[in-house]
Amino acid sequence: MTRRKPALIAVDGLGGAAIAAAARAALASIDRATRGGVSCWDASGVFEELAVAGADAGPPSVRTLLLLYAADLAFRLRWEIRPVLAEGRSVVAAPYVETAVAFGRAAGIDRGWLVNLFRFAPRPTERRFVDRTAVRGGRGGGFVEFGFEQVPKVMLGATRAELVERMTAYLRASARRS
Amino acid sequence: MPGLSRLRRRAREHFTGGSHRRGLLVAFEGPDGSGKTTQRKLFKTWLKAEGYDVVTTKWNSSALIKPIIKSRKAVHALSPEEFSLLHGADFRHRVEQVILPALWAGKVVIADRFLFTGLARDVARGLDLDWVLKLYQPLLWPDLVFYFAVSAGTSGRRVMATGTPQFYEAGQDVTDVEDPVESYQRFITRVIREYESLALIFNFITVDAERSIADQHRQIRQLFREGEKRPWSDWNADAVAEWLAIGGGAS
Repeated sequence: MTRRKPALIAVDGLGGAAIAAAARAALASIDRATRGGVSCWDASGVFEELAVAGADAGPPSVRTLLLLYAADLAFRLRWEIRPVLAEGRSVVAAPYVETAVAFGRAAGIDRGWLVNLFRFAPRPTERRFVDRTAVRGGRGGGFVEFGFEQVPKVMLGATRAELVERMTAYLRASARRS
Repeated sequence: MPGLSRLRRRAREHFTGGSHRRGLLVAFEGPDGSGKTTQRKLFKTWLKAEGYDVVTTKWNSSALIKPIIKSRKAVHALSPEEFSLLHGADFRHRVEQVILPALWAGKVVIADRFLFTGLARDVARGLDLDWVLKLYQPLLWPDLVFYFAVSAGTSGRRVMATGTPQFYEAGQDVTDVEDPVESYQRFITRVIREYESLALIFNFITVDAERSIADQHRQIRQLFREGEKRPWSDWNADAVAEWLAIGGGAS
């Protein structure tokens, strides 16, 4: 069954490779005539620039990283998502809001702040969750892998395994709600 | 975050314990051309002569985020939301890396523009005050905020005396006015209106920035002497506790 009406499909999860695969599957489920494209994180290049900053600049905290994620999402909405929807086509946002919220919640950021941060982002027509906990290292991965690489362990406040567990629990609960 | 109540207690004990001089945060706010940088430099020189350990932090100066903002400003690539969020990230990084470490060490931090700059400019760009204010949470309130009040006309004259305002400084991203000078006058009028509202809400100390440099400096010295005796604001407990939770305060 292919989707014909224009839609914003959000794909969220932990591992970048798994999100990319789910995004391709979501795109394939859209009727060719209304198929737009996939909007990925770091379309604006902020994280690429962040990764090359000198160590003496001091590491980002989770909160700083989330502010940058929101700035990047605002860019994606402006250039990649809203224009496609305005043309009457569908677009897959992979990842969208829930991946970042899961990362923030796992690191102890309060829910109210996260809800406010992403208030500008429209509610997706459909939500898909990648229920896979495989998180690889390196910048070729997703936002969560990038966060693990950039934010020192002491600033994350927990081990990676604990954070992955918390994020998975959050995303599963979010999937049940949606 | 786990253990925040314990960390709040630690923050209170550190900033209210009488055995050492506590850190003080002094913010200089006002529109472009209000002379706050001149006053900030005079104030810093005076404080150092009085024996204070002083750290200065400027708006949009985080070594990590500033290059990201600069490259996007150069190509006029920022929407109001992106502009706001990136400046919020720059501010957060400086709070964690510069401001709180210095305050914890008992220094005087002079902020040449603080989060109120973000609020005034972003709201002047049409964003919602509540949304922008929450971006800056957990909030860190200065012990003193000096607001350098000038008219839009004076601001414009002083800014134009040193050159033509840049694209975002002139608010050309939101005014749709091609002439930067005309755009600046429109935009700074909005910014000043927002600053005046913030001055009332957040109890700024207003300095008449149309007066002579020497008069303003004398007033600031006197106000600082009165203000430094104020008790530490418990409103800051959350901001300090979060910083401690992410490894701040480790000696």
